[in-house]
Amino acid sequence: MTNASHEVAKGPHHASGAAPSALSAYSLVKRFPGVLANNSVDFDVLPGEVHTLLGENGAGKSTLAAMLCGLYQPDSGHITRNGERIALSSPRAGLQHGIAMVHQHFRLVERFTVAENVILGSRDLSYKLNRSELEDKVAAVAESYGLPIDPGATVADLSVGQRQRVEIVKALYQGAEILLLDEPTAVLVPAEVEKLFENVHAMTQAGKSIVFISHKLGEVVEISDRVTVLRNGRVTGHVSGRGTTDTKELARLMVGRDIELTTQRASHATGHEILQIRDLSLTVGGVSVLSDISFNVHAGEMVGIAGVAGNGQRELADTIAGLISPTSGSIAISGSMTTDRGPIHARELGLAYVPEDRLGMGLVPSMSILDNLLLTRDRRVVVDRTTVRPEATRLIEQFEIKANGPDHMARKLSGGNAQKVLLARELSGGRTATKLLVVCSPTRGLDVGAIETVRALLDDARSAGQAILLISEDLDEVMSLSDRIFVLYRGSVVHETPGESAELATVGAAMAGLTPEDKS
Amino acid sequence: MRSPIRIVFEQRNETAKHLSVLVPLLSVVAALVAGALFLLATGYSPIETYSNMLSDGFTSSRGMTDTLGLSTVLICTGISAAFAFQMNLYNIGGEGQLYLGMIGGAWAGLALGDQLPTFVMIPVVLLVGSLAGASWILLPAFVRSRLGTSEIVTTLLLTYIAASLVKHFVYTPGSFFVTKNSAFPQGRLVPDSASLSGIGDTSLYPTFFLVILIALALFWVVKKTEYGYRIQVISDSPRAAHYAGINANRTTMSVMLISGALSGLGGAVLIVGPFGRLDPGIILLGYGYAGIVIAALARNNFSAIIVSGILFAGLRSGGDKLQISTDTPIHIGVMLQGAILLFALGGEAFRRYHIHAVRTERATQ
Repeated sequence: MTNASHEVAKGPHHASGAAPSALSAYSLVKRFPGVLANNSVDFDVLPGEVHTLLGENGAGKSTLAAMLCGLYQPDSGHITRNGERIALSSPRAGLQHGIAMVHQHFRLVERFTVAENVILGSRDLSYKLNRSELEDKVAAVAESYGLPIDPGATVADLSVGQRQRVEIVKALYQGAEILLLDEPTAVLVPAEVEKLFENVHAMTQAGKSIVFISHKLGEVVEISDRVTVLRNGRVTGHVSGRGTTDTKELARLMVGRDIELTTQRASHATGHEILQIRDLSLTVGGVSVLSDISFNVHAGEMVGIAGVAGNGQRELADTIAGLISPTSGSIAISGSMTTDRGPIHARELGLAYVPEDRLGMGLVPSMSILDNLLLTRDRRVVVDRTTVRPEATRLIEQFEIKANGPDHMARKLSGGNAQKVLLARELSGGRTATKLLVVCSPTRGLDVGAIETVRALLDDARSAGQAILLISEDLDEVMSLSDRIFVLYRGSVVHETPGESAELATVGAAMAGLTPEDKS
Repeated sequence: MRSPIRIVFEQRNETAKHLSVLVPLLSVVAALVAGALFLLATGYSPIETYSNMLSDGFTSSRGMTDTLGLSTVLICTGISAAFAFQMNLYNIGGEGQLYLGMIGGAWAGLALGDQLPTFVMIPVVLLVGSLAGASWILLPAFVRSRLGTSEIVTTLLLTYIAASLVKHFVYTPGSFFVTKNSAFPQGRLVPDSASLSGIGDTSLYPTFFLVILIALALFWVVKKTEYGYRIQVISDSPRAAHYAGINANRTTMSVMLISGALSGLGGAVLIVGPFGRLDPGIILLGYGYAGIVIAALARNNFSAIIVSGILFAGLRSGGDKLQISTDTPIHIGVMLQGAILLFALGGEAFRRYHIHAVRTERATQ
């Protein structure tokens, strides 16, 4: 190839010419049908360095990471390891070169112990496993990086943060020198994020290289030595130096325009009670999922429910929406009881519900946008699509949904656009005008631009006098939008605070189950 | 050194419309080629065999009416299978429901035939046959919708019981369904008021047009009505159905009952038409099972089932006549049916994926 030397000369932007990079990528190109996922991307990481890949969903971060660890093969361009050109035909080949990826969705066998999961895939095991010896080895690797973990524990019993630690220990045990962490903080509570960052430091101290993949600006600034920003498959910027990084500049590089994610609260006095929950308890299969929950949401008010996933949020939302009957207690919307009367009754009283699970619960993947708009509406015996079509077209325009029109299949929408369809349907009212909006993790997995839009939509709904219950694992979101905040822990409200005076430390502690008695 | 060639499956973003037609069509061609190889290997001329089948099944006027006559029952079992399949309910017991439709239809004809006129009797026989078919799926539908028991197992097992019932009613001396004092056990013919005659003395009966109408009506129901909407939601995502307050249990129940009734209708069509009596010979014909293949080939599209049903009827009736006109084994028709299904299912891969061969490239140099 004639221009190979040119490409190398142009090369990645080394921090210094002297230190040889642990891993470099030169002009990587990866095409998928209809998408140029990576367009001539250069990237490198030095030993002992944290180099962050920053970008929105679909910017090409994951594609690049997948090529760096051998999951995908580039269409053109090449990769070097310690200056030598390598071909990564599979993740196993990546591992042989000391490159490992910790995926966002863990790949652990829940019924196995930590040690069994760590050794899974090793090829040098003897026919008969010596468990205690293996467990000692695993524990030794874990401790040397300050990653305390019980190698004999069953993975099913571990918290999300601990599982992530198992994945990291597994990579280290397999001899990884370069770890690619794909959105590692997405599933963690603040205290766990802190712990993860300590571990990352311990690993870089030991000379490991970390490729950190994220779209959260705050943590990127905190952890990174260098940042490479991707947008639409291209590198839009390299930013060096920890702490000196300007988040506004990063956001602009990432999105291509200025972004304002401001704090919004009810600007006017709130109205009468729309949602009333009294002594709500739910027991599923003998296990208490919700216990003694009581609160109200007023017209024009946004109440935030914070908590780590799996502490009863989903069940609370489903119960309010009439999908689950509570074991005891009552729910009323606009003064009418909805307990045990099903989802259609709740909707007739003005409920709208945006579930956490968009495709598969909130939307029917194989149906068009038009048909999905009909899902929560009154549909007559012969479905009248012709009168709904203009409305669908209008909503697509109003919510700036990127689609080919009302017949665009829901499955083929991006995450952000699917969420907009869902919000468009729920906010526009179906059987009756929306009075109460229950939204779960409305911006999860969305890129910054879409987050901005969705938050603005929620704020508009609040200003229009709708009562909003915002249930989210994203603490920043709950803190910056809610007028009042409740923290749900193991099915109980353990903390309550007005949004304005909420403290991150206190709310974070309550989410982790630490009683905030001493503070309040 | 040449690098090895890899076959790459790339998921298609959008299935091109022409592939939905082309793939089933090519499946049929591929099946004919496979069948030709088989014929050659066993010493028959494929060209002669196929041209005989074509004229016996389709191109001659007698062949065409025979084919359309046979397609009547096959379209019934085809739409029966498709109606359940489209909701991911695998009613593979259409065969048994068809037997029950014959039993019910024959009973109605024999019991009421002498008292009522033809224009009442024909609908009554068809209705009773349909109800009998539905009754045969009542239990599987109930346990499926309440307990989640696999309908595949229950409907299949009930088919064996249905076959035994048919034999019981015909071979038990003094049975209501058989001719009294006959040396040879044989079903009693229904009275004239309960039987139609073929159009212009052919084996094509007016029921053919009724069945076509039903298939088109189902097409409309699924595409345009609230009931069809509900079916689509439940089949794609039961959780979305729950979210929207759609009662999945009730819909499951009704879809299965309708599916059973359609197979039952197929049985009753045989009573008012070509059979005229409860005949244990039905057990060897496999019309119910053929419905599964017909539905699969048409990808559960009710209007396409009309086409695939007629195609299969042609293969069957053309194949059957081969044995009479030449000495080619009768099973060539059945074999081709199986081959078509096999190729059609395999062809799905071409619809879903863009398949191409690439030379694996080493690091670019």
